[in-house]
Amino acid sequence: MAEKKLIDENGIRTDGRKWNELRPIKMEVGTLKNADGSAYIEFGRNKIVAAVYGPKEVHPKHEVLPDRALIRCRYHMAPFSVEERKNPAPSRREIEISKVIREALEPALIAEDYPRTAIEVYVEVLQSDGGSRVAGITASSLALADAGINMRDLVVGCSAGIVDGQVVLDLNDTEDKEGTGDMPVAFMPNLNQVTLLQVDGIYSRENFQKAFELAMEGGRKVYQIQRQALLDKFFGGMQTESETQEGDE
Amino acid sequence: MSAVKKNYVVETLRKAQMIELLAKGKRLDGRALDEHRQLTIQTGLIQKANGSALVSLGNTQVIAGVKVATGTPFPDTPDKGLLVVNAEVLPLASAYAEAGPPDEDAIELARVVDRGVRESEMVDMEQLCIVEGKTVYSVFVDVNILNVDGNLFDATSYAVVSALRTARMPKYVVEDDKVKATEEIVPVPVSKTPVSVTMAKIGSTLIVDPTNEEEAVMDARITITTDDEGNICAGQKGNPGTFAPSEVLQAADTSIRIGEKVRRIILEATA
Amino acid sequence: MVVRKQVIPGDVIARGDYRYGSYVEKRGDEYVALRVGLAEVSREGIKLNPLTGPYIPHADDQVIGKVIDISGFGWEVDINSCFFGYLPASFVFGRDFSPATHDLSSKFRIGDMIAAKIESFDRSRDPQLSIRGPGLGKIPRGEIIKISPTKVPRLIGKRGYMVKMITSQTGCDVKVGQNGLVAVIGPPEGILKVANAIRMIEEEAHAADLTRKVQEYLSGGAGVG
Repeated sequence: MAEKKLIDENGIRTDGRKWNELRPIKMEVGTLKNADGSAYIEFGRNKIVAAVYGPKEVHPKHEVLPDRALIRCRYHMAPFSVEERKNPAPSRREIEISKVIREALEPALIAEDYPRTAIEVYVEVLQSDGGSRVAGITASSLALADAGINMRDLVVGCSAGIVDGQVVLDLNDTEDKEGTGDMPVAFMPNLNQVTLLQVDGIYSRENFQKAFELAMEGGRKVYQIQRQALLDKFFGGMQTESETQEGDE
Repeated sequence: MSAVKKNYVVETLRKAQMIELLAKGKRLDGRALDEHRQLTIQTGLIQKANGSALVSLGNTQVIAGVKVATGTPFPDTPDKGLLVVNAEVLPLASAYAEAGPPDEDAIELARVVDRGVRESEMVDMEQLCIVEGKTVYSVFVDVNILNVDGNLFDATSYAVVSALRTARMPKYVVEDDKVKATEEIVPVPVSKTPVSVTMAKIGSTLIVDPTNEEEAVMDARITITTDDEGNICAGQKGNPGTFAPSEVLQAADTSIRIGEKVRRIILEATA
Repeated sequence: MVVRKQVIPGDVIARGDYRYGSYVEKRGDEYVALRVGLAEVSREGIKLNPLTGPYIPHADDQVIGKVIDISGFGWEVDINSCFFGYLPASFVFGRDFSPATHDLSSKFRIGDMIAAKIESFDRSRDPQLSIRGPGLGKIPRGEIIKISPTKVPRLIGKRGYMVKMITSQTGCDVKVGQNGLVAVIGPPEGILKVANAIRMIEEEAHAADLTRKVQEYLSGGAGVG
């Protein structure tokens, strides 16, 4: 069976990118009025909304944790988000992804500052095109900062993988499905600590390291866009520092 | 929704003991940091199943059963059979397990083990095809956890792999446009032996094959599955802790090394 | 000398040896922001004024709340926080209070707005309220305006300068709750002016000449943009 080539002789991928190029990314903070914090992200053709409610009272009461906030997370794909309509009921895949997203965000949250409360994170995928969980984590991080939850650092996500035997950055849906490897990574950029890592596909030890380091490098570039989204909402786009004499307003 | 759960609470004195020992490179049960517990594998014990394996990893005990049937292939892979891996923690397995549909932990467990088997290409899916586009073998592997004492990921994975390696199925042929089972029994087409190695991170120490107590105290967990050639074919970080990038690479190296040791045990038990 | 910096969570505010307050974490010799906000570094220490976040109760805070439930022994009050406030009936009726002889709804009914003080809050239970103090108790009429709790310090101003300016220029009584709710009582034109001034403060809290702008508006100068 002839294999479809995902990278041509000039090293160009199906969507025109080179091996180490990210898809176009757009982020905006505070897009939903009711949520305590929210953010919208476009990552290639992924369109994802993240919202945070909390800290708030815990229901049902017996789930309350006495010394910290209860973190809840729901990753959900809209039925129209993929090629073939997806049943709106949570699938096993969505349940697993909800869990790994929660575990990727929790290390950044200082849950002990909000005992006996709940902090709920909702990730809604409106259109999916490969890498939705890392994009969801990136957006959730912004929504949590927007909601004013005490955070040690932001969390940023990016994926890498293997396509046509080559290690590449940020797989789109086609590459994810037809390539031979997918590796979503999320981390806290200032603390340099990995909070999500999943490996799918066959990697030699060498390629494993290459892909992992490529995903981290890509993530740092995504982090710059993430920072800018917060600066845009709260500081008119620029981060400034000023010195004044005491007594000024 | 995924939510933090109330967990088995380890006594602070025991936890302090554990951490003191770890600083010296030792564990409560005397193991080295990269040592796994005693692993015993028994296969072929459920005669009504096409394959089965009972695995004990320390006190963690699981049983896997393989059932092979025929079914229709997925439309986008008409020449490939079906492989479904499921896992369930039985209520009798621990004081903290409850009856009911699989929770997020069980779902994660099943999906991670499934990926380890699937991505390694252990089962030759094309050999499971009987009539392209119409009839293929469906291989179901169900794992029941009988006793929980940590590291369900590895125990479940070893049980699935051992059961598949010793599973046998009836050979089907096409006769008069109909698919018929023959008297001939053939092995389920397997080639590789993927091995998962799970490590827990406590403080800044990585330990292989955590017990229930060690898991209750761990900051984060990472499971990495390798194949016979030392390639990494699956991986999953779990729990709300973190890994430094160097720890990720250290975990990869450890799982290649320890995986090779475990592979020899599995190959011997399933020869 | 004060250095002011705009920061987001994870940003290093300063390095060295400083005293520091909430929303800042010390990591070695680095002081890291935990919120989006404006950091101030001076000889006095590091202070982060957050631009985000819910109201977290502190003892002695004045708050404006809505009575949402009545039990035998007190009132449950929504104080715009992640915790509900509780006003014990004994704090209102006195120590000889008993459910048999005192009817709680005769004092405050569900839906009533009250100005109260956080008597205590210790993380192990909901904050306790009291109405002991001048100006506390039921808010009989007027309008409630909601602002982000992070803007309250700006609305009050240094030593109450801003809010005093607003009350004197509008003829209204303005009670500011630390929880972001503001009760305004007075003539309708006065209330409108107060509302506009508050909106101005909320939108331009970071402006250096905010006091002058608000002063100008209140004394009948430039209209509100």
